Amino acid sequence: MISLAGRDILHSWGKFVFTGVGLGLLIGVTLTMAGVYRGMVDDAKALLDNSGADLWVVQKDTLGPYAEPSSLSDDVYRSLLGMPGVARAANVTYLTMQVRQGATDVRSMVVGVVPGGPGEPGQPGYLIAGRQITRGHYEAVADVAAKFRLGERIQIRRNLYTVVGLTRRMVSSGGDPMIFIPLKDAQDAQFLKDNDAIAQQRRRTTASPAFNRPGVPGLLDAVLASQSTNPSVNAVLVQTLPGYTPEEVAEPIRRWKRLQVYTRLQMEDLLVRKLIATSAKQIAMFLVILAIVSAAIVAFIIYTLTMGKIREIAVLKLIGTKNRTIAAMIMQQAVGLGVIGFVVGKIAATIWAPIFPKFVLLEPGDTARGFVAMMVICVLASLLAIRAALKVDPAEAIGG
Amino acid sequence: MHWRGIKIEGLRKRYGSGDTAVDALKGVDMQVAPGEVVGLVGPSGSGKTTLLKCLGAIIEPTAGRMSLGEDVIYDQGWKISDLRELRRDKIGFVFQAPYLIPFLDVTDNVALLPMLAGQSNRDARQRALELLGALDVAHRAKAMPSQLSGGEQQRVSIARALVNRPPVILADEPTAPLDSERALAVIRILNDMARRYETAIIVVTHDEKIIPTFKRIYHIRDGVTYEEAGEGRLFE
Amino acid sequence: MKRLPVSGRTLALIGVLLLLFASFAFVALRSGPLAPVPVTVMTVESQSLKPALFGIGTVEARYTYKIGPTVAGRVQRVEVQVGDRVQAGQLLGEMDPVDLDDRIAAQEAALKRAEAGVPAAEAQAREMVARQSYAEAQASRYETLLQAGSSSEEAVGAKRQELQVTNAGLAASRANLEVAHQELARVRADRGVLLRQRANLRLVAPRDGLVAARNADPGTTVVAGQPVVEVIDPTSLWVNVRFDQLRAGGLRAGLPAQVVLRTQAGGAVAGQVLRVEPVADAVTEETLAKVVFATLPEPLPPVGELAEVTVTLPPLPAAPVVPNASVQRIGGQLGVWLFEGDSVRFAPVKLGAIDLEGRAQILDGLKSGARVVVYSQRSLGAHTRVKLVERLPGVSP
Repeated sequence: MISLAGRDILHSWGKFVFTGVGLGLLIGVTLTMAGVYRGMVDDAKALLDNSGADLWVVQKDTLGPYAEPSSLSDDVYRSLLGMPGVARAANVTYLTMQVRQGATDVRSMVVGVVPGGPGEPGQPGYLIAGRQITRGHYEAVADVAAKFRLGERIQIRRNLYTVVGLTRRMVSSGGDPMIFIPLKDAQDAQFLKDNDAIAQQRRRTTASPAFNRPGVPGLLDAVLASQSTNPSVNAVLVQTLPGYTPEEVAEPIRRWKRLQVYTRLQMEDLLVRKLIATSAKQIAMFLVILAIVSAAIVAFIIYTLTMGKIREIAVLKLIGTKNRTIAAMIMQQAVGLGVIGFVVGKIAATIWAPIFPKFVLLEPGDTARGFVAMMVICVLASLLAIRAALKVDPAEAIGG
Repeated sequence: MHWRGIKIEGLRKRYGSGDTAVDALKGVDMQVAPGEVVGLVGPSGSGKTTLLKCLGAIIEPTAGRMSLGEDVIYDQGWKISDLRELRRDKIGFVFQAPYLIPFLDVTDNVALLPMLAGQSNRDARQRALELLGALDVAHRAKAMPSQLSGGEQQRVSIARALVNRPPVILADEPTAPLDSERALAVIRILNDMARRYETAIIVVTHDEKIIPTFKRIYHIRDGVTYEEAGEGRLFE
Repeated sequence: MKRLPVSGRTLALIGVLLLLFASFAFVALRSGPLAPVPVTVMTVESQSLKPALFGIGTVEARYTYKIGPTVAGRVQRVEVQVGDRVQAGQLLGEMDPVDLDDRIAAQEAALKRAEAGVPAAEAQAREMVARQSYAEAQASRYETLLQAGSSSEEAVGAKRQELQVTNAGLAASRANLEVAHQELARVRADRGVLLRQRANLRLVAPRDGLVAARNADPGTTVVAGQPVVEVIDPTSLWVNVRFDQLRAGGLRAGLPAQVVLRTQAGGAVAGQVLRVEPVADAVTEETLAKVVFATLPEPLPPVGELAEVTVTLPPLPAAPVVPNASVQRIGGQLGVWLFEGDSVRFAPVKLGAIDLEGRAQILDGLKSGARVVVYSQRSLGAHTRVKLVERLPGVSP
C-alpha cells in the first residue's frame, strides 16, 4: 500500500511546512489566549492562596477587599480573636498605587501586613530571595514582577523603604505585583497625602474658627493630630483552627459582629465571576473567532491544494482509483497540516508566553483539548475539498 | 469459439429526452481482436468520444451490447456491478497528455493501480519495472515525472495503462501534441505492446500522420461506424 | 541512480519532524507544571543570636517650659528670638499692663495719703490726750473746789461733762489712729497685689535654656494659659520611641541603643534606654520608651525630628538558627521544609527569638546539620519534586 497523502506532502514539503508554520502561529495565538484566561483565573487563585487566610472579614455589605473597597476599624481583630474556631486574625490593607524607584515607577498593590513573624495571615508564604520583614517600619518585600532588586530603596508616598525580600507570583487579581510593607506604614500610606496636601489641610483647619478656638489652647493641636492618623484597615484575615469548617467560624461573626465574612470558596467565586467575568467572555469570543478562522484557513488551503490536483484526481478516478482512497488522501493531508501547525503553535506559545506582561498559564489539558479540536476542525475542513474531488467527472480526463 | 477482444453491437447513446434529445450514437458495430490496433477516425461531433466513453464504462449507453473478452459488460444495461473495478482491471487508458501523478516517481506512477488493488509493493514495482523496460524508459525509473521529456512521459503513461494487463486499451488522441516522428514512435510502441501482451487497442484519432499505420480503420459519422481497411504502413 | 534525492528529502523531513517533537517534549517536561521545582538549601548551624528591637521615635526635650500670662491680655514686648540661649530669671517678654500701671500709681498716691494719715491721727490722738488730761485735771480740781464750797454744782458738772467729752474724744482719736494704721496696711496690701500682678505680666525664664518657640508677637492677644515663649533645656534632649508590642519583648531600662536621626541616615549615635513607660499606647498597640543620647550630637537635632532606634538585647545562648524565609505555616503549624534529595518533608518547629537580620532561633524540632529549603520557585507541597540549585532563576546576585 502506498500513502498518497504522504507522497504528496514529501513532494511539496516546503509548501506544507510553510503553511503549517503560518497555521501554527495562528494556533499559538489561540493557545495563548486560552492561557491568558487561565492566567487570570490563576492570578485570582494565587491572590487568595498567598494571603494564607481561611476567612476574609470585611465591612458589612461590601464585596471587599478585592472587588470593592472595604474599611474596618483596626481594633476589630481583637474581638475576632475571641470567637470560637479562630486561630489567628491579622489586619491587612490593600492599596493599588504607583511605587517609585529612582526615575521609574511601577504600578503595584501595596499590602500592609502585621509584622508579627513568618506565618502570619497576609505575609507572603515563600520567598525566592532575602528575608521576611523584621522591623516594624520602612522595610518591604516585593514581587519580582515589579523588577526591584534586594537592597534597593523604593518610595511609597512619603517614605523610603528598603527591599529586604523578593517573592514570585504574588500578584493582585489584576496582575499587579504585590509589595508587602508593615501595617502601620501602609495605613499611613493609604491615608496620608504628600507634604503639600498636608500643609494645606493644616492651613484650612487652623483657619477654621470651630477648631482654632482661642479659649481652648490645645484644641487645634489635638484636631491636627487626629487628622494625621488613620485607624482603618481594609480587612481582617482569619485562620481557623483545625476541626472547624470555615462556614462554622464565619456564621457567628456575620451574625454577632455585624461584619461581612467570606470563605475561600466564596472569595474565589467572587473574584472569578465578578472580576474576571467580562474578560472571560471577551476571551471566549476571541477563541471562537480564532477557531473559525483556523477552520477557514485549513479548508481554504486544502481546497486549493486539491483543486490544483483536480486533473490528476480525475485521471485517478478514471483509471479505477476508489473514491475512498481519494477522500482518504485529502483528509490525511488536512490532518497532517493540522498536526504540523499544532506542534509549531504549541512550541511558539511556550516560547513567547513568559514575555507577556500578564501571567499566561498553558495547561496540558488545554493543549490536549486544543489538539483534539484542531483535528476535528481539519477533518471537517477537508470535507469541502473531498466533496469537490468526488464530484469530479472522470470523463473530464478524456477531452470532449 | 470464445471471442476475446472487444465486441460492440448496435450501441446507441441518446443525450437528453423529448424534443431536445440528441442521438450521439445510432447503432454502432465494432470488433477488435486481441493484439490488433484499430483506428477510430471521425470529425468532431461524430460521436467518437462518446463511443470511447461508453467503452470505457464512463457513461452508460442507451441501448446495445458490449463485451470485453469473455465478459458481457453491457446488454441493454450494465452487466457489471463495479464499473470502477472494471476500468481498473480490464481497461487501460492512454490520454492526449500523459497525466502522470506529479508527486509519485515513475515507477510508482505505473505501480499505483496494482498497489491500490492490494498487490504487495514489491510485486507491483517489479511488474512496473518490467513494463518500463519494455518501453525503454527503465533508466528513468526513479525520476519524477517533471524530469522526463514529453515522449518519455507518454511512454510511462502507456506503461501505466498496461500494468494490470487489461485486455483493452483505449487511446484518445495519443499523438495529437507530437510531431510525426514521435507520433509514429508511439504507434509503433502501441503495436508492439498489443502484440506482446495480446491487448486490443482502439486509437481514437484524426491525426493524418498516423492514419496510414492502421490495418483497419473504423470511420464514424453521425453516430454510425463504417469499417474500412487501412494501409497498415508502419513507416520506418 | 536517482535514489538519493528522495531518500535525502525524506530523511531531512523526518529529521525536522523529530526535532519538532523533541522540542515539544522538552518544552512539556521542563517548563510546564510537570517540571521539578528549583530550590535553594542551607544547612542549619548553631549560632548565638544577638536580637535587637527596632522602633521609630521623635526627638523631644525632657523639660519644656511654656511661659505665658495667667490672665488674658495683650503681648507688649518679646525680648527673645527662637534659638536664643536664656538664663534663669532672664526677662523673655512682657504683657501689656493696660491700666495696671495707672492703678499702681493711684495706689501709690493712696498709700502716701494713708501714710500721711497716720501722723495726723497720732497728732490728733496726742491732742486728745492733752485735752483729756487737762479736762481730768480740771474735773478733779473742780471736784475739790466743790467739796470746799467754792464752786457751783453747775461748774463742776460742766467740768465733769468736759472730762467725759474729752475721754470720748480720746477714745475716738485712738480709734482714728487705729483706722489710719489699718488704712495704711490695707493700702499697702492693695499696692502689693497690684505690684505682684504687674510682676506677673513679666515673662521670665525659670531655668537656663534655649528658646524653642515664640508663639505670639507684640500686639497679639492671648488668653490665660496660652504660651507666648517656649523654652527647652537642650541638654535634656531624648528620643521618645515607639516599639510595636509584638516585637518589643525584652525591652527594659539600661539597654544600649543606636539612634539614627533622619537627617543623618547612616550615621548612628550611641544611646541608652532610660526608661520604659509604664503606660503603653493601647490604641496603636505600641510600647513607649525614652532613649537618651550618650553624648548630644552636634549640631543639636531639632525637636520633632524622626529617629530610628535599634535597641540591642543581650546575646542569646547558641541554638540552631534558620533564616526566617524558611519558616512557613502549613496546615496551621509553623515549620520548615527539610530537603531530602528530590523531595521535601515538612517539619514543625518551635521558634524562639528572631533578630533583625531575619535569623530565627529554633527551640524545638530541628538539629544542627539538617538541610532546610530557603527559597523555592513555587510553593511546596508534600509531593512536590524539587531540584537543588545555587540560585533561583531570575534572581540577580
